Amino acid sequence: MSFLAPLGLLLSLLAVPIILLYMLRLRRREVQVSSTLLWRQLLQDREANAPWQRLRRNLLLLLQLLILAALVLALARPYSEVPTLTSGRTALLIDASASMNATDVQPNRFEAARRFALEIVDTLGDDDNVAIIRVAESAEVLENYTSDRTQLRAALERMTLSKGIPDWNAALTLAAAGAQGAEKFTILLLSDGGVPANLDLTLYGEVRHVPIGSSAQNVAISALATADDPVRGAQIYARLTNYGDQAADVIFSLNLDGTLHSAAPYQIAANSYLDLTMSELPAEFRRVEAQLTRPASSTLPDHLSIDDTAYAVYAPVIAGRTVVMTKGNAFLERGLAALNAWQVYRGDPDRGLPSERYDLYVFDGWLPTTLPDSNILIVNPPPDLPPNNLYSVGGMTNQTQIIRVLPDDPRTRYLRFNDVNVRVFRQIRAEWAETLVEAAGGALVLAGEFEGRRIAILPFNLLDSDLPLKIAYPILLANLTAWYKTPRALNLEGSAQIGQTVVIQPPPEADVVRVIRPDGAATTFRADQPLLIYAETLQTGIYSVDMYSGESLFRQEFFAVNLFSESESNIVPRAVQLGSGADAAAAEAPQEIGQREFWSLLALIGLAILALEWFIYHRRLGAPRLRGAAAGKFSRTARRP
Amino acid sequence: MSERLFDEKTLRQLDQLSLIANRVRAGVMKGERRSVRRGTSLEFADYRNYARGDDLRRVDWNVFARLERPFIKLFEEEEDLSVHVLIDASASMDFPREGEGEAAHHKFRFAQRVGAALAYIGLANGDNVAVTALYGAGLNVTWGAHRGRGRSLALLDYIAALKPAGNLDLVAALRDYAMRFSRPGLCLFISDLLAPNGWQDGITALQGIGHEVAIIHLLSPEEIDPPLVGDLQLVDVESGATADVTIDAPMRQMYVQRLLAWRDEITAHCRKRGIHYATVETGSPWETLIMSELRRLGVLR
Repeated sequence: MSFLAPLGLLLSLLAVPIILLYMLRLRRREVQVSSTLLWRQLLQDREANAPWQRLRRNLLLLLQLLILAALVLALARPYSEVPTLTSGRTALLIDASASMNATDVQPNRFEAARRFALEIVDTLGDDDNVAIIRVAESAEVLENYTSDRTQLRAALERMTLSKGIPDWNAALTLAAAGAQGAEKFTILLLSDGGVPANLDLTLYGEVRHVPIGSSAQNVAISALATADDPVRGAQIYARLTNYGDQAADVIFSLNLDGTLHSAAPYQIAANSYLDLTMSELPAEFRRVEAQLTRPASSTLPDHLSIDDTAYAVYAPVIAGRTVVMTKGNAFLERGLAALNAWQVYRGDPDRGLPSERYDLYVFDGWLPTTLPDSNILIVNPPPDLPPNNLYSVGGMTNQTQIIRVLPDDPRTRYLRFNDVNVRVFRQIRAEWAETLVEAAGGALVLAGEFEGRRIAILPFNLLDSDLPLKIAYPILLANLTAWYKTPRALNLEGSAQIGQTVVIQPPPEADVVRVIRPDGAATTFRADQPLLIYAETLQTGIYSVDMYSGESLFRQEFFAVNLFSESESNIVPRAVQLGSGADAAAAEAPQEIGQREFWSLLALIGLAILALEWFIYHRRLGAPRLRGAAAGKFSRTARRP
Repeated sequence: MSERLFDEKTLRQLDQLSLIANRVRAGVMKGERRSVRRGTSLEFADYRNYARGDDLRRVDWNVFARLERPFIKLFEEEEDLSVHVLIDASASMDFPREGEGEAAHHKFRFAQRVGAALAYIGLANGDNVAVTALYGAGLNVTWGAHRGRGRSLALLDYIAALKPAGNLDLVAALRDYAMRFSRPGLCLFISDLLAPNGWQDGITALQGIGHEVAIIHLLSPEEIDPPLVGDLQLVDVESGATADVTIDAPMRQMYVQRLLAWRDEITAHCRKRGIHYATVETGSPWETLIMSELRRLGVLR
């Protein structure tokens, strides 16, 4: 046993005043009594057990000296030397990712890691510095380099377990930053492995890995997706993976919009997977929840539960209907039909507009007398004035050198007009429209919103150009089509991973976008920016994106968040390989010398003795009272009957 | 002690009482008490057979004429009772002192009242009353003996003027008293009995010359359950002797037990010797002692 603050032992000199005070206290107060006769008899009685009485008289002094000794020892901060894992400067990286939820060590791997870390903090040497970095979907420094055990303990206590996928790169970069100026630097990983081997990092100092976890037994839904097949309708694909080394029996159940659709037992061989395809599904559903459970007969444990449930959202693409009013233009019809998004119908300009409503009207060299209340594509506009004064018509021009293509616009994305040749085109001006492609003689492609319609104009005959033969043609049509169709606010293929940010593209009419998490908590955005970034995807489940115009909810979209991570679901404890390809040293056997302080124990003992002393003191001094129980007894019992 | 010991009302109550001596002692003078002796009063007591030498004047001739046998006619003898009131006037009776306890608990004041009451009852009944303050052998101060109600004011003044003082050897003082006042009678001894050398031999000396003894044992509440705590040096106000005592709750408990045991010892001693014994706390009203306790003991009627 040694002391960190041996100067504290000087405080034991306080024993001198205590003893002095005690001796002073023994100078007795003089009190006059009528007679000492009875007291003397009493003292003679007590002579019999005198040694005990002497001890008893000094008991309080003894206890006080013991309290002092305990407190002085505590202040001197005694410690014993114990073997430990760390010395010098250490970055303690604690894995708090999804796989640390595994319960193969009780209560789970994360708690085991936390206990281990607390143990390290307890045996910290006086000169050792430790930083605590929590590795989850983001790396977070919970406590910077310090030797203050209280702070370190507090940081460890408040550390929470995540369900995300660890960002080892960021964590190790953070840890590596601590190496600067350190004589001896160690990175200590408390993890079940899963550190990617291809990290491009230069690490200084020694990297040690404390492996956590013992079993690989886990069955997961490792993929869940929906698809819209034109022939068979909606389909659901699921992949069930058994990461364990024993075949596992599972029951796979499927909930559609909250009602159970099907449940069936499967067996998955060890270290393999099973692909399932579900068809013959109801016509309409949006939310899919798949769950793996163990049959009651199964004794095989499943150590990780968060990947036993997976979510998906079914959002079929609904084809729009378009009518092409042309006297014959194969380029237009084929070009549109090539886009899966449209069902193309042909109309005859001589018979006027068809009575049923279409999502898109294409007018080729012809215009109706009144504009339909839908989106419109005008090709080769006729020379007469358009209905509703849509635009002003100018003459034909052959100045067709392309000046520029409007940059940074979704309608001109990937669009190159350099190799497109147009013979002549009509000069058309419209206040509401933007010029997407500008030629020397005027606008070659215009598009904009007019009285609630989206209208694009190509003011030339397609047959007067080689546009339909160029790559720009399908790109332009596809871009315009995407523009005509109401875009989805969410541009997400499949489901999001835990911790992944989700980009929301609010429609222009949305004022407020509210994202509601599976647990019901909501995040509200003001839709004043073209893109909203939502990052609170730390739960698995189905998130709802509600878009409000003013007070009214006008659109609701869903997205699903899943774990779907091979590295997290595969909970087998692995060795850590780092960028260099070298294994991190396994840190099973403690090699360094740490110091375990036990002043708190001494302080506790001091407190206990203090309580004892207080008890004894108060037991000895009954509160003095004049007429106690004895008074009155004296004369009463002396009466003769 | 200039204040009066009693008010008029109390005196009138005392008038109705009289002292009793179970074994009545021969008086010196004609008194108001019947004597065990047959004597010369007018009250007829008994007959007995004539024996040779009897005074012929006492033969009841009427009976002789009827029965032809001589009988002597006996008469009651009436005599006075000698009452001795002994008050322990040692310094230990001067307790609790001013500032150390309640003045109402003062032992000597209590003793003065009780002694005065008993002496007054004696005077009122025509007894021969002597009041003595015990200060020690050769130092005792005695009033009397006097007879007659007319002396009562002088008696009260005398008792009221007494002051406790000095270190008293009770045995010596009592022996001294027994030698000086050899006329046996009722001896009322008022004391706290806190005497290092004991008192039993003194009482035995009193009984030895034929006194009937009653002890009225006074203790103040401060002595019965002392309000003391801590490490103390107790100083005996009488002898000046000291005792170092650490008083805590168990110690107080032991003191009380010791006190009760001491009282029980005294009770047993007195019962064996035929001594009337009454214990009194000075915290209780002294009238209670006179009106009920002593009546119960058979000292008063």
